[in-house]
Amino acid sequence: MPTENIKAGPPLLEVRELSLSFHDPGKTGAAPAAQRLAIDRISFSITAGSTLGLVGASGAGKSSIARAIMRLVKPDAGEILFNGDNILDMAPGELKAIRRRVQLVFQNPSASLSPRRSVAQTLLEPLEHFAMGDAHYRHERVEQTLQTVGLGAEVLQRFPHQFSSGQQQRIAIARALVTDPDLLIADEAVSSLDVSVQAQILQLIQSLQQRHGIAFLFISHDLAVIRQIADQVAVMYGGQILENSPADHFFSRPAHPYSQALLAFAGQQSIAQPVERQLRLIRGRDSSHHTPACVYADGCADRMAVCQSTEPGIHQINYKNRNMTGQHCVKCHLYGSGKTHDS
Amino acid sequence: MSRVALKVDKLSVWFGTTSARRQVVDNVSFRIGAGEAVGLVGESGCGKSATALAILGLLPTTTATVEADGVEINGRDIFSLSAAQRRRILGRDVAMVFQQPATALDPVFTLGQQIGAVYRRHTGISKKEVQLAMLGALEQVGFGRPEEIASAYPHQLSGGMQQLAMIAMATMCKPAVLIADEPTTALDNSTQAMIQHQLKRLQTDHNTAILLISHDLGVIRQSCREVMVMYCGRLVEKTDCDSLYAHPRHPYSAGLLSCIPQISATRPAGISAIPGQVPPATELPPGCHFAPRCNRAESQCRQSIPVLDTGLDRDVACFRQL
Amino acid sequence: MRRTWQGLKSDRFGMGGLLIVAVFGVVALCVWTGLLGQGWSEVSGERWEGASTAHWFGTNILGQDIFQRTLFGTATAIEVGLIVTFFSTLLGMVLGALGGWYSHSWPDEIILWIKGVLDSIPFYLFAAAIAFALQGIHWAMHLAMVLTFWTTTARIVRGEVMRIKEREFVDAARAIGLPGLTIVFRHVLPNTYHILLVQGTIVFVAAIKTEVILSFLGLGIQDGVSWGLMLAESSQEVLAGHFGNFMAASVFLFVLLMGFNLLADALQDAWDARRAIP
Repeated sequence: MPTENIKAGPPLLEVRELSLSFHDPGKTGAAPAAQRLAIDRISFSITAGSTLGLVGASGAGKSSIARAIMRLVKPDAGEILFNGDNILDMAPGELKAIRRRVQLVFQNPSASLSPRRSVAQTLLEPLEHFAMGDAHYRHERVEQTLQTVGLGAEVLQRFPHQFSSGQQQRIAIARALVTDPDLLIADEAVSSLDVSVQAQILQLIQSLQQRHGIAFLFISHDLAVIRQIADQVAVMYGGQILENSPADHFFSRPAHPYSQALLAFAGQQSIAQPVERQLRLIRGRDSSHHTPACVYADGCADRMAVCQSTEPGIHQINYKNRNMTGQHCVKCHLYGSGKTHDS
Repeated sequence: MSRVALKVDKLSVWFGTTSARRQVVDNVSFRIGAGEAVGLVGESGCGKSATALAILGLLPTTTATVEADGVEINGRDIFSLSAAQRRRILGRDVAMVFQQPATALDPVFTLGQQIGAVYRRHTGISKKEVQLAMLGALEQVGFGRPEEIASAYPHQLSGGMQQLAMIAMATMCKPAVLIADEPTTALDNSTQAMIQHQLKRLQTDHNTAILLISHDLGVIRQSCREVMVMYCGRLVEKTDCDSLYAHPRHPYSAGLLSCIPQISATRPAGISAIPGQVPPATELPPGCHFAPRCNRAESQCRQSIPVLDTGLDRDVACFRQL
Repeated sequence: MRRTWQGLKSDRFGMGGLLIVAVFGVVALCVWTGLLGQGWSEVSGERWEGASTAHWFGTNILGQDIFQRTLFGTATAIEVGLIVTFFSTLLGMVLGALGGWYSHSWPDEIILWIKGVLDSIPFYLFAAAIAFALQGIHWAMHLAMVLTFWTTTARIVRGEVMRIKEREFVDAARAIGLPGLTIVFRHVLPNTYHILLVQGTIVFVAAIKTEVILSFLGLGIQDGVSWGLMLAESSQEVLAGHFGNFMAASVFLFVLLMGFNLLADALQDAWDARRAIP
């Protein structure tokens, strides 16, 4: 089902070799600022209508990608291509047209809505800013969007603090949808919601995927959540992407040792004590030190000698079973020189 | 049956002034034995935090009314004591870990100063000994370099590390009861595991009774043997975790369980959720509060209140049990 | 806003304060529209007459009716308060917002420098200089106060803006490409209004008190009468045993300022109560 939905064609969003360093001394004052990269030569692409789930431990890396794409922060290097055009080079005029088509949904719904603006004002603002249609069209569009997210017109004159967090997140999603975007970036958008509210929002996202064909960059630390809605999964560690795989491949046969550890850990259900070793395997790292080694070498159970001296290249995994579609890439010495991966 | 560390009898809490009161906790009773961990699960706004704050006496007296037949810590009814006596017992025997460590920590003092201050107040030993004990506690909680953490200010640490430091603070005094209110919300899986590991240690090493409050049944299942499900201030199901997971009897419990996302071999075709939302405490529906959202509700459910029935393997409050 | 009002209503002292301020406001209005206090300069009686039905508060050294003068002084006080509060708050709000938004870059540095300079000048010297330079202009005193009072408001607003701009809804506004100034005035500043309200009441009180002192120094109102002027006049009269001027001005001043303080405290409480809902 999901693999058929992925439309073939040029990617809607393509990120190439994106890098961004930390600007402050960092949390526990480890390495000096200049050397610590939040994002280290990240590359990935999202085709129109598909959803990429970006998973990794909590840290600055994943959110930095979202902020770089929205041009809230300037990356040090790399390109971000929207329908083939590099948005980092664009003049403000061109950029404005792009901004209409890529929107961001934040983690904390109550913090992401302007407290002194009514829902109507919040939803109309993007339409007015991008000069879309006339007043009549804008009001229609607002009502339509509210319907899409499952809210009624009575919310229009109210203010954010009068709503529950689930409703607030719906309003935030409505604000993102009102300009008819092609791509939505959800940055831990369900992480601070109750599990029952989370389920409702995931339902909404699913209907946006299926009925409106909206592409998503869904950032989360929760693999189970990503399983519900992602077509493609990319795993981040230490500022780098270690594996990028179609969802079904990822969840049945993850290639990278870190992915395997994450999945094994997430699959635990019972009261059994988490093993220290497992903890060490999955303990997140939020930055890269740009030394010539695999960024995961310290924690890896399958570490070899070469892992600590040379950075692995990105290898494509070929499948014996030709029915599996989609690209599967992994950054690991275990997969050098076109080894095949059973499937 | 081990000694009962925390016993709560018919606890009720109202918020608001006499003219506009709303009930947020409705006749909640439970007990936790020494060394046991019990989970209290429910959605935001269901009254679980209010329950914890009421036990600890942390609700403002001007806007909250608390009534109970009794709240006992290690056999002593703290509601019948004077405020000062109560504070002393609570401070010594009950520790609480809050949801957002950043707001519970004072930003102008280092962690070492804050943890040390708490410990010194309760044991009165010398500064040097406090320092050693504190570094030891931080190390046990998982910090590789406790001196660095002790000399750091709260804002220099991530949310997960702050929370672990809070747990170190809570465990140093070896409390009889620990109440943890959503300690792992919004923290990633590995930090969550570390926190759960610490809670386990407290149970085994110090026989601490733990009340773990969360909206996430998955989290509770990993740490607790027993669980209580709460909806709109009332307990609707009380049983051990395995039974709840295998056969939930209350429709709300079943709904909550179905909301937990699973990692399955194939991507699920649909996502299940409980329709509607938790009603605000000012607009509670008559009869069973869950009736409007329940697909098994009948007219009886809307007219009378189901009471918590003690059954063979569990207590359930429902006319239309599964 | 409505919830603040409801919180305020339940505070008896606050409502009392509001009532007092409202009464004084009405009096001021009547003076401005010519209904009351018009005989403030008229010599309508003998020197230092005691209280009587003709002159409710008696007369001063020139035979002018003290009651009329007190009423006119009310209008002066309210006028000073309103003008200074409005303009200094406006100026402080704008410059504070710009400084906070562009913090640590050149607009902020300039504004901070100007603030520093103004704060370093002894106020009464400054006021004297302006009063001298603008001799004869009714608004000299107001201008002096506006030009110095704005710094406190600006400082507060700057701090708040620096805090607020880190919040996610500001990021959301930047993410759709809204220009910085639009974000500051549309999204950030409205979240400082409650602070500005309380600060405004403080400035109002300060303005009136400052006017009293300026009048003592002869730098106050020139073409009318104010309580400050009456107090200045009364310093001689009191020695001769005539307390009319002194009592009238002091009592009215005290009551108005007390009312305002009660109102300000209550507003602050109502605002806090609104936010602290369990």
